[in-house]
Amino acid sequence: MQCDLMPMPRLVLLWFGLVVTVGFLLSATSAPALAGDAPAQRVVFGSAGFTESNRFWTIARPEHLQYDPFLETLLEVDAKTGEFTPRLAEKWQASPDLKEWTFWLRKGVQFHNGFGEFTANDVVHSHSFMLRQDATSGTAPLWRMAEEVKVVDDYQIVFRMKNPMAIMPYIASRAGELRIISKAQWDKEGLEGLDKRPAGTGSYRYLERKPGLSIAYERVETHWGGERPDFKQLEIRLVPEETTRLAMLLGGEAHIVDLPRELQKEALNRGMKIFSSSQPVDWMTVYLGGQYYTPGDPKFQANVPWTNKKVRQALNMAVNRKELLETIFAGKATPVYVTGWLPISEGWNPEWVTRFDQLYGYNPTKAKELLKEAGHPPGKLQLKILGFTNPGESEGPQVAEALAIYFKEVGINAAIEILDWANVRDMFRSKSIQCCIWPNIISWRPVEDWIRVSYYSKSTNHHFEDEFIDKHYLALAQTVDPEERQRLTRTIGDHLFEEFPDIPLFWFFNEVVANPKTVADWSYPGLGAGRSTHFHLLKGAK
Amino acid sequence: MATAVSQPVPWYNPPKIARAVFQARRYPVVPVAILLFLLVIPAVFAPLVAPHDPLKGSLSKRLLPPVWAQGGSIEYPLGTDKMGRDLLSRMIYGARVSLLVSFITVFVGGSIGTALGLMSGYFGGKLDTLIMRLVDIELAIPTILLALVLVAAVGPSFGTVILLISLVIWTRYARQARAETLTVKEQDFVARARVAGASHTRIMLRYIFPNIVNTLVVLATLQVGTIILLESTLSFLGVGIPRPTPAWGVMVADGRELIVTAWWVSMFPGLGIMLTVLSLNLFGDWLRDHLDPKLKHV
Amino acid sequence: MQRYILRRFLHSLLAIWVLSMIVFSLSRVTGNPLDVLLPLEAGPEEYERVAKHWGLDKPIYTQYLIFMGKALRGDFGTSWKWQGHTAMGLVLDRLPATLQLAGLALLISVVISVPIGVMAAVMKDTPLDSFSKLIALLGQSLPSFWLGIVLMWVFAVQLGWLPTSGRGGLSYMILPGIALGWFQVAALMRLTRSSMLEVLDTEFVKLTRIKGLPEWKIIWKHCLRNAAIVPLTYFGITASGLLTGSVVTESVFAWPGTGLLVVDAVRARDFQVVQAVVIVFAGVFIFTNLVVDILYAYLDPRIRYQ
Repeated sequence: MQCDLMPMPRLVLLWFGLVVTVGFLLSATSAPALAGDAPAQRVVFGSAGFTESNRFWTIARPEHLQYDPFLETLLEVDAKTGEFTPRLAEKWQASPDLKEWTFWLRKGVQFHNGFGEFTANDVVHSHSFMLRQDATSGTAPLWRMAEEVKVVDDYQIVFRMKNPMAIMPYIASRAGELRIISKAQWDKEGLEGLDKRPAGTGSYRYLERKPGLSIAYERVETHWGGERPDFKQLEIRLVPEETTRLAMLLGGEAHIVDLPRELQKEALNRGMKIFSSSQPVDWMTVYLGGQYYTPGDPKFQANVPWTNKKVRQALNMAVNRKELLETIFAGKATPVYVTGWLPISEGWNPEWVTRFDQLYGYNPTKAKELLKEAGHPPGKLQLKILGFTNPGESEGPQVAEALAIYFKEVGINAAIEILDWANVRDMFRSKSIQCCIWPNIISWRPVEDWIRVSYYSKSTNHHFEDEFIDKHYLALAQTVDPEERQRLTRTIGDHLFEEFPDIPLFWFFNEVVANPKTVADWSYPGLGAGRSTHFHLLKGAK
Repeated sequence: MATAVSQPVPWYNPPKIARAVFQARRYPVVPVAILLFLLVIPAVFAPLVAPHDPLKGSLSKRLLPPVWAQGGSIEYPLGTDKMGRDLLSRMIYGARVSLLVSFITVFVGGSIGTALGLMSGYFGGKLDTLIMRLVDIELAIPTILLALVLVAAVGPSFGTVILLISLVIWTRYARQARAETLTVKEQDFVARARVAGASHTRIMLRYIFPNIVNTLVVLATLQVGTIILLESTLSFLGVGIPRPTPAWGVMVADGRELIVTAWWVSMFPGLGIMLTVLSLNLFGDWLRDHLDPKLKHV
Repeated sequence: MQRYILRRFLHSLLAIWVLSMIVFSLSRVTGNPLDVLLPLEAGPEEYERVAKHWGLDKPIYTQYLIFMGKALRGDFGTSWKWQGHTAMGLVLDRLPATLQLAGLALLISVVISVPIGVMAAVMKDTPLDSFSKLIALLGQSLPSFWLGIVLMWVFAVQLGWLPTSGRGGLSYMILPGIALGWFQVAALMRLTRSSMLEVLDTEFVKLTRIKGLPEWKIIWKHCLRNAAIVPLTYFGITASGLLTGSVVTESVFAWPGTGLLVVDAVRARDFQVVQAVVIVFAGVFIFTNLVVDILYAYLDPRIRYQ
């Protein structure tokens, strides 16, 4: 390289160009931090993230966190008991056949940004989005069963459903996805208005979104229900990395965060507090593939080892649930007795609690015996455990590894395969998962819906299917009488309890970690769509 | 003339030792030593050296600190991880995995790259343009993106990681091989071979390849470090070596949320990666300086 | 000269087209996006309805033709995961954030590596030289996400000097900028050092010494000119390293750029956004390489006639 290769001017120009480009990049769109009031007025919640969109009919329940502060629902979920109570609807009633549901609406509810009073037309309008082609929320299929939505008068509306809908209160509540938005705004501003600044009826008002970063809300001065949040401004931030969330909390940038258990301990050591949901929210169970016992099912393969009930029981007895609980889950969970059932669910049988240890409890000796009886001496049985992670749920692979260790001790050789959630889902939907077992975390829903989705032979998930369940479920779907419904759901529950369809593990409460200097208390059920809900109940520290 | 019989020089002669040490500074003693102890010996002798089974852990012993910290025990010198597995054993077996991955990818990627680069430089013309376009296209695809998409398609596995990293590194070999081939093929002995009637393949293999192999070896050494780093980044994103196989990258990624509470889980593998890559780079530099000082541009 | 530029430009377009085909087929091989996007309760009717809505029920070549047709008009489709946003719109929304971070990282690495590289060359084989080599090596040996987390922990949590994450003013960019740029410091430093060494060895420099010019003038005025070309030619590779490194850094620091977007999009099998991101990234690389090539040809006449 010769020193005289490039004359000074060209060189200077080049470097100048580079510096200018870099400087421009630096100064371009430097987004200022949200102008905050005095710290006591603003609270920041650090979440693991969600799909950002104002189109609530395309967003599934857990991600409705982003709507909870400002878009309301017909029914409320009580913060302590989880019961469905009046909200935008003061009263509701079903016809004897559970097909017609009438809602009497509250008067004098005003939409944000001056879009007028809430009436039955707004309910019809909000519901209409569930009928769109792009409606992909979880309860949309149920809303689409509405044959007619009749406006009786401004404050009374009737849904006529194709099938009896016993779980209507659930889907119309804060645990569901029908968010009430303003027809007046739609008429004036259309989809663009909804995408930019949706008007709701909640005690917080939508302020703005910063894509990829946060969503901010502001307290409304008069709320129809007299709700007055302690914090004037609320901001929910999207932070995918757990360590970053912990750092934010400790550094004072966030006041409440979602943290995995390992990090909760560290936060507690530094003086933070945990606020738990009042009800259990999700459960983890290990599902066993290939259990298609409906006669004539072509996907049924008899050589799958756990089609033998003894093997299923052995698998259960090999697992030391107590140790799993202490170690991976830091002791914070309650046991699952029959997958999907909580004491508040229809058909709960307290006997399951007392009999559980005897049938499912940790007993490796008995497990080995059962396996031998079933024709699998130690070392012969092979199975595959599938692990996958979803944002915020990292325990799957850990549990898979723990299971492998437990199974090894009773002579079962378990291989672990880590896949994408989508692959696993594809496998069990297409009934091609006979090879494997997999732990999964699913959130609470009414029992009838759970059976429809997982045990009914025309379900989507095919966790365990047989004639008995089919018969009773079809009867249940048509049954209106509450006592008969209890009897039917209990029968199905009992059947499942005796059949060892899976390896039930734990119910989890939703836990968030907060800075007691800012947040003194928070009471929320956990069953609301979004898990962390009822932001208006955040009590500021004095 | 009588010659004085000289006394035998005792081996512990300080001046002699001093001179030997002084001369040894020209050799990369420290890096090679580190490599031997951190990478090669553990990798080769893993079953003999590791105190525990790297895959078997006891949940009651999880997250134990290293032996010198409070709560640690000599049974688990470097502590245990989330599943109660001994960290030292996992590091040892992890060396084996890292080395295996690096070797195989360098071999696969290097062979493909060298072959393509050789042909590109030798034949020139349309083939050359085509291959260089391929190189450009490959360089244009963001590595991480390719990784995510590929792994989502095929599923994370040892083979996928090897395939992916090979796809990423072959271009450097291709470019280097091509550049070298261009110079070598103008030499006299190549012309003579052609006149003598040697086939193209023969010329490439027997005459050109041996002359370019030096640079490629150096390149390979320098790349092992990059590969180990790449593998750990892929693991961080969840598309690397699948669990429960111990690989240093996976271990750092797994321990990242514990960096505050149980720092040892990701600190030791992280240190391992850093020291190994450092030593490899130092060794590679020395190698380059000694084999061919003209290789400043590698 | 014009023909050269034209040739390179056409080659670049070809590269982008081939790339788009590869990504298109690869991303559709990754499986049904509906498995990720639809909730657990969705039944076969939901799958059918949504597949039809997004055009996934058509055979793959039809899908590609439709895609190409729209793409040529600048329409890269709407995102499936982020309903209501166009794929390209999302990418372009997030791109400034990534460019900003990359710009700072580049600045940091240049500001650190060029002066040290020059001094290391001038004071070859002194402790400073070894020190620079050490820094360079360290830079190349640390996994960037680990560095990011450690930096965050030390500076943001323990010392409280800087914020941990998110985007705001300059203070939010410093830690991610360092984490991202660190890797480039090594390569740039080595290159600067080696090219300075070459220059210091030439006849021309000996001449300036004979002429009696002060040493500092020789170093900084005459030789730096030529050493300075080097980072520029390396710029193409640097750009690619920065863009891919941003994926990891943005993840750790919750920086809302395209890196984070891509990871989310691939996880959600949102093909439209993946395609848009790849095309934009590839476009940036290829464009940068093209500019560098042209600059090089402009500066060094020998290349033009190849």
